[in-house]
Amino acid sequence: MLDKKLILGVFDDGDKLLSAVTKLRQKGVEIMDCFTPYPVHNLDRAMGIKRTNLTVGAFLCGLTGFLSGLLLQFYMMTNHLNTFKSWPMIIGGKPQNYGMVPSMVPVTFELTILFTAFGIGILFFYRAKMIHGKIAQVLDLRQTDDLLLVAIEQDHLHMDRSELDGILKSNGAIEIRERNLEGTSNAKNS
Amino acid sequence: MGHHIITEIESEKYEFTSKSRRIVGAVFVLGLILTILGIVQLRGGSADASHEADTAAVEQHDDHAMDAASHEEASDAHYADAADAAHAEGGHDAEGDHAAAAGHGHGSTWVTRLWANILMNSYYFMLFAIAAMFFIAVNYAANAGWSTLLKKVAEAITSYLPVAFITIAIVLFVGSGELYHWLDYFNGEKTPGTPEYDAIMESKAWFLNNGWFYVGVPVIMLIWILFRWKIKGLSRKEDQEGGTTYFLKSIRFSAGFIVFFAFSFSILSWLVLMSLDAHWFSTIYSVYNFAIAFVTGLTVICMFTIYLKSKGYMSAVSDEVIHDLGKFMFAFSIFWAYIWLAQFLLIWYANLPEEVVYYDARLTDTFKPLFRTNIIMCFFLPFLILMMRNAKRHPKVLMLAGAIILLGHWLDMYLMVMPGTVGESASIGLLEIGMTMTFAGFFIYWVLHNLSKDQLYPMNHPYLLESVNHDVGV
Repeated sequence: MLDKKLILGVFDDGDKLLSAVTKLRQKGVEIMDCFTPYPVHNLDRAMGIKRTNLTVGAFLCGLTGFLSGLLLQFYMMTNHLNTFKSWPMIIGGKPQNYGMVPSMVPVTFELTILFTAFGIGILFFYRAKMIHGKIAQVLDLRQTDDLLLVAIEQDHLHMDRSELDGILKSNGAIEIRERNLEGTSNAKNS
Repeated sequence: MGHHIITEIESEKYEFTSKSRRIVGAVFVLGLILTILGIVQLRGGSADASHEADTAAVEQHDDHAMDAASHEEASDAHYADAADAAHAEGGHDAEGDHAAAAGHGHGSTWVTRLWANILMNSYYFMLFAIAAMFFIAVNYAANAGWSTLLKKVAEAITSYLPVAFITIAIVLFVGSGELYHWLDYFNGEKTPGTPEYDAIMESKAWFLNNGWFYVGVPVIMLIWILFRWKIKGLSRKEDQEGGTTYFLKSIRFSAGFIVFFAFSFSILSWLVLMSLDAHWFSTIYSVYNFAIAFVTGLTVICMFTIYLKSKGYMSAVSDEVIHDLGKFMFAFSIFWAYIWLAQFLLIWYANLPEEVVYYDARLTDTFKPLFRTNIIMCFFLPFLILMMRNAKRHPKVLMLAGAIILLGHWLDMYLMVMPGTVGESASIGLLEIGMTMTFAGFFIYWVLHNLSKDQLYPMNHPYLLESVNHDVGV
């Protein structure tokens, strides 16, 4: 991966960060990301983050679970799929036809939930690139303590650098830094 | 700040225009006309119908003398069969039940059907009012801010409570003889050992009696009305004087109401609806009724709000609030399905005769299609329609889902009331449609009329601006 040159605006207050981000977006600046130690309301909207389509994944996972549950039970409990080799399994005196559908509800429900929960968890970690063993690239260690960062990619910046600094400063940035995304892990203690 | 924060809103007042009044009034009048047509139609056809039932009943139980066979007895036959199977000495019970039902001999089915319809709609529309009341109370008790803008709409819906009291009282004091066969049993002659004696009924005598029925139900509803009057009064004073005094008082009354509601609503649902099938019982029945009440109540609040917004009122109610209402409708449709299944699955699986009578009477040729439609309309369709985020923010989709939910639960009520009263001869005809239109017309008129008497927002409510600026994120 190529190095990304980042400009970091460091803030000590969520409101200041939010107003800076809003101003920058009004000027057409693309925000790469923000890093905050606590949630800042409306920041996602101000950054122009698109809504995640993880929910579609959740639906598909759920649907898979739902169908697997039904298939599993039709396969094991009825002869609709021609699966009875010796004798039917009569448990609880249930009918052996579609009349047994109510008894399938709990298993189908549980499998739907199971597939959705695991599927969405895996998808989330995949999308967020949070893989076990990966060293987190912390841009500035203080982002985990009491400071908030806004990161802007230098290559995507269609604006005079001094103007950007001006906007950041006027909105209360206490510091403006530059940093390469690759290799930040080596300088964790900066 | 980046996001525009609203710090002040204008007070609004709904005007119930004469045009709207005429439209809603027309629904009411049309409903009345259809009801009358339905009655005329049923009276014309009742002679043939009762003859058919007579034949059918005699075929089933030809050892019983059926002097005044009515359709109601056809359904009683279900109890009889179940009681037979359940108890070794059940033959006596069943016969006793039969004798009790046949004894007082109301041969005219259309009267039973009319009262069943009145009961069904009285109860259904009462659920909206009491659920709106619960909505207000639960939001006070939970210190919820998002719903504050909807409080006046919910209050207007609770104004129907006194009307519901009157309609239910009419059913209890005038029509109950046609509907509740246990009343006939307990008010008739019976001694142990005789065929009239019914052991199952006797075991319920401490609860199923005139005291609980004629005093308990009205008292419960009167206390609800008192709570409603109190909370409404506090709300009015808050509008006039402001401050947090009335808000804090409302929280206390709301908490009290919720506790009382939990017990009283259960008792009411047992007495008014569950006792229609007096031999049967279900411990989750009141929760099931609550599920219906809350999901339909939320839907009604949502639909009124969307209607007002479409008329240009309530512009302060943002998509975010509507979105949350939609989530509530979605969630409580699932809750209903959960409770429905919790009741059905255990009874279906255990297959105990005294429990399964209830579903036995609902899985006949007459009711089975409705039974299935009910589940589809109350769970599957709302679930699939409201699942998408955009659907919950789109007024037209919400209205569609709301209409499906309301019709579905109407069917739900129909399935709770009809098999135990009218029995196999029940069908959805002019009478059912007309009666529902009558009640709906009156309900909408009453609510909108009460809404127009007050301002649309609780202007001095401490959480008003929180509701205005409510945000559910991206």
